[in-house]
Amino acid sequence: MPKNEENSRHWSSRSVGAPWQHRFFYGLIRLGGRRAAYFFLHFVAAYYMLFRPDQRRRCDFYLRRRFPGASQLELLSHEWRMILSLGRVLIDRAIVGILGSDSVQVSLDGKAELLELLAEQKGLILMGAHVGCWQTAMSALNFLQVPVSLLMQREAGDVDRHFFEHAGIPFPFRIIDPSGYLGGTLEMLGVLKRGEVLSVMGDRLRGSERNATAVGFLGGTVRLPFGAYKLAAATGAPIAVLLSAKTGADAYRIRLAGVIRVPPEGGRRETGFAPFAGEFVSILEDYVREYPYQFFNFYDLWESDLSSEKASASNYSKE
Amino acid sequence: MSIKEKLKKILVEELNLEDMTPEEIVDDAPLFGDGLGLDSLDAVELVVLVQKHFGVEIKDMDEGRPALQSVNSLAAFIEAKSAT
Repeated sequence: MPKNEENSRHWSSRSVGAPWQHRFFYGLIRLGGRRAAYFFLHFVAAYYMLFRPDQRRRCDFYLRRRFPGASQLELLSHEWRMILSLGRVLIDRAIVGILGSDSVQVSLDGKAELLELLAEQKGLILMGAHVGCWQTAMSALNFLQVPVSLLMQREAGDVDRHFFEHAGIPFPFRIIDPSGYLGGTLEMLGVLKRGEVLSVMGDRLRGSERNATAVGFLGGTVRLPFGAYKLAAATGAPIAVLLSAKTGADAYRIRLAGVIRVPPEGGRRETGFAPFAGEFVSILEDYVREYPYQFFNFYDLWESDLSSEKASASNYSKE
Repeated sequence: MSIKEKLKKILVEELNLEDMTPEEIVDDAPLFGDGLGLDSLDAVELVVLVQKHFGVEIKDMDEGRPALQSVNSLAAFIEAKSAT
């Protein structure tokens, strides 16, 4: 089994916090709002920095790639900022549900282009990534006025709640379970054939390695799922890469960062889809350059170890 | 060539069922998993191929799930759709 697939299997997106810790923050938001929650977040972040190095080091897989020359001290500083960044995003997500969507200002760049893509009537694939707060991106899609289906698998036993659960409202999107019949592909195909919107994540492989393609990301090779590109080739649906970023204490920016078009002959097997996954990764690299602490994949995505890459590069330079 | 024969030829040639000939495919063998070994993304490809070669559209999960069980079920689905 390839290294990154093994890592993703051993890693869970489930919250590391205990249920009472989540409830504490939810109460704090109700009583003291964002400022109180952000203030206490510093103590939680400090706890993880000092007493949970196992969790803290999960940031390093990405941080060492994003900041290749960082010293140990600099790395600690990056870890601190990343833990705070994640905490703030999680708090904001709860705030939207508890205090209402007006408590976060969301701006969307590319609204007209998204409507134009939808008007092609081939369906629309919204491809996101585990960056910023994808729920804010989803909450800004009402203007599309067509049903939105979301490919999402929830970890069993996860105590972290989504914004709609706080608000006590039904989930505003249709969920397609990737562990369902044929990985939900027929449902996804149906969504696109009806001219509707399908939302997927392009940065995390949570299934068979057979459905992944290798691309370069931050100096190493990662394997990313190509299912969305295959669906695009089959239906003619354009892929709109939509990424969200926290830009202020109560502000998020959602940006249509690129449009990927896969021709019908886009390819059948993994190598045929590599150029399209490459387009996505290039957009993602631009994003992490701009928002280095908002990339939230806490496992080793890369095929090889950074140390072995450095060693081979060093050997090469000696030859 | 019958619908079943044509389907088997498509499966082997266009879905890259290596080490298999159309004649070796059993009519009732499951298309996915332990049967012919096709996967979820092959299902997408198969839906497209059925439309391309037979002019029959598998619109969604409700139609696709019973139709994509085996060569037999898919052939019956194509036959029924072609007749309407």
